Amino acid sequence: MTLMLQAVAAFLLLTLLIALVRIWRGPAPADRMLASQLFGTTGVALLMVLAHAQSMPTLMDVALILAVLSVLAIVAFVTRVVRIDQSPQRPDSDSGSGSGAEVRHD
Amino acid sequence: MTDSLMFVMQAVLLVLGCLFFAVGTLGLFRFSDTLTRIHALTKVDNLGLGFIVLALLPLAPSLAGGLKTLLIWAAALAASATSAHLIARAVHVRPEPPETGEADHD
Amino acid sequence: MPPAPVSPLITVVFRGTVLFVVWWALTLGESSGLAFGAVVSALVAVVSLRLFPASGFSVRPAGLMLFLGYFLSRSVVAGVDVARRLLSPALPVQPGEITLTLNLPEGSPRWLLANTLSLMPGTLSILLEGNRLTLHCLDTRDPVERDVRETERQVGRVFGLAVDDSAEAAR
Repeated sequence: MTLMLQAVAAFLLLTLLIALVRIWRGPAPADRMLASQLFGTTGVALLMVLAHAQSMPTLMDVALILAVLSVLAIVAFVTRVVRIDQSPQRPDSDSGSGSGAEVRHD
Repeated sequence: MTDSLMFVMQAVLLVLGCLFFAVGTLGLFRFSDTLTRIHALTKVDNLGLGFIVLALLPLAPSLAGGLKTLLIWAAALAASATSAHLIARAVHVRPEPPETGEADHD
Repeated sequence: MPPAPVSPLITVVFRGTVLFVVWWALTLGESSGLAFGAVVSALVAVVSLRLFPASGFSVRPAGLMLFLGYFLSRSVVAGVDVARRLLSPALPVQPGEITLTLNLPEGSPRWLLANTLSLMPGTLSILLEGNRLTLHCLDTRDPVERDVRETERQVGRVFGLAVDDSAEAAR
């Protein structure tokens, strides 16, 4: 079983790395933010499998925290692009550069 | 006897999970825009995670360990759904400018 | 339809119990931490009442079980559906957006629906403004609205709400 779990972990790591290539190429910032979602699922699965393969139960806690933190990363990104506490503007109301870097202070 | 049956079931579930993760990564490459890529990441990867969690459940050391595995799964599902919604909303409210060939490097 | 008010005491006890079970699971049933966990769960439950007052929607256990079954089976369909499209050489997708008017009341039911729909076949919730929900569909040729109405009914059942099904169509 342990051998099998290690093979699964290696496979998941491989898919994660391949997906990271895609995310590195972007081009849009939102595409890159998918990395956070990717780690929220593939990363969690990888850590859970490793927890059993390596007999390191602590990795389960790492998996849980990774899942929760992945949302926070997304929230941080999204609040840079659009204020979430107000009703959204129509797309053309602010012809931003699309870099997602502007922060609006109201 | 039941042990070997259990082992086969776990193996099948692990392989299924790996396959879905691989397909999810394929989705990042085949789908051309951010929103459809999110479809691939949320649905396919979460199914992969589900299979992996099911395969790992019999390995849990105790009842609490099994419940913890399920809780991590639930957290990952909620994280994934929330992230998907937030990124989709950001893309919708502030669409990326059409690709001009000039990737923005941070 | 205003939901019946729930006594704050019941809310605190319920939340405290759920938190304690979560604590028990996360610490793998470690007995030395249970007393501390009980105190923390109780405190957090009391504080949560101030931060997140009881919404007035009570969760029905039977409805929740039915919903979980529906959710799991549809998630499998969703994953297989996207995988099938991805593995087909022709890549049969026709993305589009659809805006629906929801029949569910404001608050938790609507949020549960929007989040659930992101994991259901072919839909991804983009924007929830009032009772209008904008979805991104993987394939607009699919009967998206019918699926959404079914999910809406299932979510309504979790909270013991009868969803009026004389739904207005997408605009």
